[in-house]
Amino acid sequence: MADERFISIEGIARRYPAPGGSTTVFENLWLGIPRGEFVCMIGHSGCGKTTVLNVLAGLDAVSDGEVIVDGKPIDGPSLDRAVIFQSHALLPWRSVLGNVAFAVTSRWPKASRVEVEKRARAAIALVGLAGSEHKRPAELSGGMKQRVGIARALSIEPKILLMDEPFSALDALTRGTLQDEVRRICLSTGQTSFMITHDVDEAIYLADRIVLMTNGPQACVAEIVENPLPKDRARTGLHHAPGYYALRNHLIDFLVTRSASFRDAKPEGYDQRHPPLIRPTLNDTPRQAA
Amino acid sequence: MASLASFRVSPALRAGLVSLAILTVLLLAWHLATSGSGPVQAMDPEYAKLMGKTATEGKSAMPGPLDVGRTLWGHLRDPFYVKGANDKGIGIQLAYSIARVAAGYLAAVLVAVPVGFLIGMSPLMGRALNPFIQVMKPVSPLAWMPLALYTIKDSQASSIFVIFICALWPMLINTAFGVASVRKEWLNVARTLEVRTLRRALTVILPAAAPTILTGMRISIGIAWLVIVAAEMLVGGTGIGYFVWNEWNNLSIANVISSILVIGLVGMALDQLLARAQRLVTFPE
Amino acid sequence: MSSFDDAFDPTRRLHRGGCSCGAHASQAAHEAELSADQQIERVVQGGVMRALFPRDATRRAFLRAVGAPAAMAAISQLLPLGTISDALAQGAKPEKTDLKVGFIPITCATPIIMAAPMGYYSKQGLNVEVVKTAGWAVIRDKTLNKEYDAAHMLSPMPLAISLGIGSNAVPYTIPAIENINGQAITLAVKHKDRRDPKTWKGMKFAVPFDFSMHNYLLRYYLAENGIDPDTDVQIRSVPPPDMVANLRAENIDGFLGPDPINQRAVFDGVGFIHVLSRELWDGHPCCAFAASKSFITEMPNTYGALLRAIIEATAFASKAENRKQVAEAIAPANYLNQPLTVIEQALTGTYADGLGNIRRVPNRVDFDPFPWESFAVWIMTQMKRWGQLKTDVDYAAVAKQVFLATDAAKLMTEAGLTPPTATSKTFFVMGREFDPAKADAYLASFPIKRAG
Ligand SMILES: Nc1ncnc2c1ncn2[C@@H]1O[C@H](COP(=O)(O)OP(=O)(O)OP(=O)(O)O)[C@@H](O)[C@H]1O
Ligand SMILES: [Mg+2]
Repeated sequence: MADERFISIEGIARRYPAPGGSTTVFENLWLGIPRGEFVCMIGHSGCGKTTVLNVLAGLDAVSDGEVIVDGKPIDGPSLDRAVIFQSHALLPWRSVLGNVAFAVTSRWPKASRVEVEKRARAAIALVGLAGSEHKRPAELSGGMKQRVGIARALSIEPKILLMDEPFSALDALTRGTLQDEVRRICLSTGQTSFMITHDVDEAIYLADRIVLMTNGPQACVAEIVENPLPKDRARTGLHHAPGYYALRNHLIDFLVTRSASFRDAKPEGYDQRHPPLIRPTLNDTPRQAA
Repeated sequence: MASLASFRVSPALRAGLVSLAILTVLLLAWHLATSGSGPVQAMDPEYAKLMGKTATEGKSAMPGPLDVGRTLWGHLRDPFYVKGANDKGIGIQLAYSIARVAAGYLAAVLVAVPVGFLIGMSPLMGRALNPFIQVMKPVSPLAWMPLALYTIKDSQASSIFVIFICALWPMLINTAFGVASVRKEWLNVARTLEVRTLRRALTVILPAAAPTILTGMRISIGIAWLVIVAAEMLVGGTGIGYFVWNEWNNLSIANVISSILVIGLVGMALDQLLARAQRLVTFPE
Repeated sequence: MSSFDDAFDPTRRLHRGGCSCGAHASQAAHEAELSADQQIERVVQGGVMRALFPRDATRRAFLRAVGAPAAMAAISQLLPLGTISDALAQGAKPEKTDLKVGFIPITCATPIIMAAPMGYYSKQGLNVEVVKTAGWAVIRDKTLNKEYDAAHMLSPMPLAISLGIGSNAVPYTIPAIENINGQAITLAVKHKDRRDPKTWKGMKFAVPFDFSMHNYLLRYYLAENGIDPDTDVQIRSVPPPDMVANLRAENIDGFLGPDPINQRAVFDGVGFIHVLSRELWDGHPCCAFAASKSFITEMPNTYGALLRAIIEATAFASKAENRKQVAEAIAPANYLNQPLTVIEQALTGTYADGLGNIRRVPNRVDFDPFPWESFAVWIMTQMKRWGQLKTDVDYAAVAKQVFLATDAAKLMTEAGLTPPTATSKTFFVMGREFDPAKADAYLASFPIKRAG
């Protein structure tokens, strides 16, 4: 991709006041995300993934450093960066259409009622919910609610899509279909996306790159793994793809052992500013790129 | 005894039948308890003419259900008569009371909701105003009355003020609480959509807090109705509270009981009105 | 002595029985012959006469010496009595015609109330709404707030208001007393064999208000019988309708209450009338027609018209043969809201006493507007006696301020004349003579008292 650093996280830190000083969730964190790329972040609970995402969304402020998006530093939430919340966060007193329209009017305040509705309906159709426009969130299943959340995020045509474990509360079947949809939409629109997940298979299916976070406190990006699987991979046949197990084992190894030991036994030449980029080959065990 | 259970009676109907049975038993007991003992003792007829029925016929000082029913029917049949400044029909008196409640209550809504919003949205204001609210809230309505009369120097305005001040706190506290406890994620949705403060207050916070606010309003209308009766008993002039007081002055217990029933019914109606409003703004999650 | 009496009549007897001129079977019959205008004139002239000669004995001596017509003529030359009477009788156009006058639903308020249904107010070109009020404190506050232009009050209240006891000091006046007598001590039926007050230790009594003749008379009565009203018994303020209910519930043993509450207790079979207040002090004032000083100075014509209506109503009510008609006018729900027979018994004085007897006491209640200053002084001695009034006051001066803003004095001032000295008389309360000039000695003479 031409734009290597569409999103550039530059040495950010987040500290919380604690009795007798402060705890540092992470500091001196660096990460770049190229335009049009789908990046997944995995790491153990409490390491600070949500914090990173909230900083990107502009919902949380950093204690140090800054984040540059498209050449401009972030100073708060923006319609350019849509968030799909883990808990869908639909406004329960509004219908499906109302929820999506709320986002559309926020994006285009001067748009006519008709146009707002047209855009909202299009977004709803995109996630396959046409026909349910007038249902209330309470009348929807968990998967349908999450689709509305996705439709709402997409309806404002954001430059960046931020997702915090969007499918973790769903059953495997629903999760699968939604993953398919998200991948389809992101591929077709060339959307820049950042997703947090605990599901290694989800990361392998969706991500172009997978960012591995070490355990907190003082978490850091251990490495960035490039996904070697072909772009036209299918979710159902994923585990038959060559290189799949090697990649999966690498990720799980990290989560099981290295994420905890990384901080104390940093590899030689490790530079927080430039976390190592791993390019696993399709047959070999993954190894560090030259 | 072909088994009662075999009757397919809906639960609502069954509850209604039990209510009716309880009512019948209560009315019967009431009737028996107040039916009197017959002429007490031989009395000089000349003297008896000067005495009331309680004294001459041993009639219970407490009216029976029939007396109350008759009295109530009398009021309901002609609710809007005016026989002078101090003698008006029960409908007119109710209208006075409801008008006062409406005035004081609406004023309280107009103050409580915006101020509650302010408190709810600003933790600083919340903490700063909390001591005042905590002190004012438990003050008995009637304790305000002398102060109001003294400062406002108008009994009509004073009773409205007392309604206002008593209806204020539950609404204020509930509004502040409702606003403060709007789910963080909904606020975050608004933030990520760059929704401006006023629109956020109206389209996110207000609907989110509405059920809590309405709960406060419902508590308040109950208090307002309680207070108006007491306030009118105190300052008199007009209103259902004055009506009760006037009949108490005449020791007409049948009238007092009928007014109690009417007050209860109106109170229930007001409560139901707000319950309905509450249902309108409540959202299932 | 009634102010409808002819003060120019040297033979008029000070104590009742028959009428003052002797030509009629009763005072009422005597007064029935006078027209309302004559009544007004009589009150005004009497006021002046009394002002010049406060002592009944002196006045009588003077009249005997010069003869009544000569005295009239002499005084008329000094003071244009006719003008004053005219001003009060015809009055200039009232500054304000829509008035509100508050009352408490008891028979004491009879003149104020009846003036409405019987047209006395409208005759004066006034549109008066008489407003029933829940209690003495409320009527005081509403009058102070100017929601009411004038009001029915207990006669000690304007004194207390003017002195600032129990409220901020606001100059208040009693242009006219409403009724004299008409109260009673009512006891629960269970005490019908316990008539000697000396045996009343430990009983609980109610009075309508702290600043009431009821309170002072009950305390006086108890103290005269060796019962200390503060330590031997309990006395509390209870609104009149609650008195009967409390008596029934045995929360109290009795009360010194206003009519018709006493009669109502009898009517409901819960109490009996132990003693009428006239047996303690015949001719004692009870309730008053009260107005703020500012009302009188700002709206003198309205005040004059109002007062004239009330004086006329009072005159009508004072006649025994009118009492039934008055009872009918004031019994409905709009006014007293009591059974007619109860009001009738209270007003006509033919009543069931609660012990099986029918009693006939025509002056159980009477109506007499003249606000004697000595009444005020007596009330203040009792305020002092029971510790309500804690400072020394100039009795005569306060009495003059509150009770002497009378029709007579006021009209004299309006006519550009210097008002005469205080209008006072001596009287007996339970056999003890009260001389307003010797108020301190009177107060000192009580064995049971809190102060003074
Ligand atoms: N308001 C706060 N005050 C203090 N510490 C906080 C606060 N919010 C988060 N933290 C700490 O920051 C760290 C990172 O939290 P974060 O929510 O980003 O974790 P996470 O990686 O998203 O975890 P999970 O996978 O469970 O969602 C945690 O250790 C948490 O305790
Ligand atoms: Mg998280």
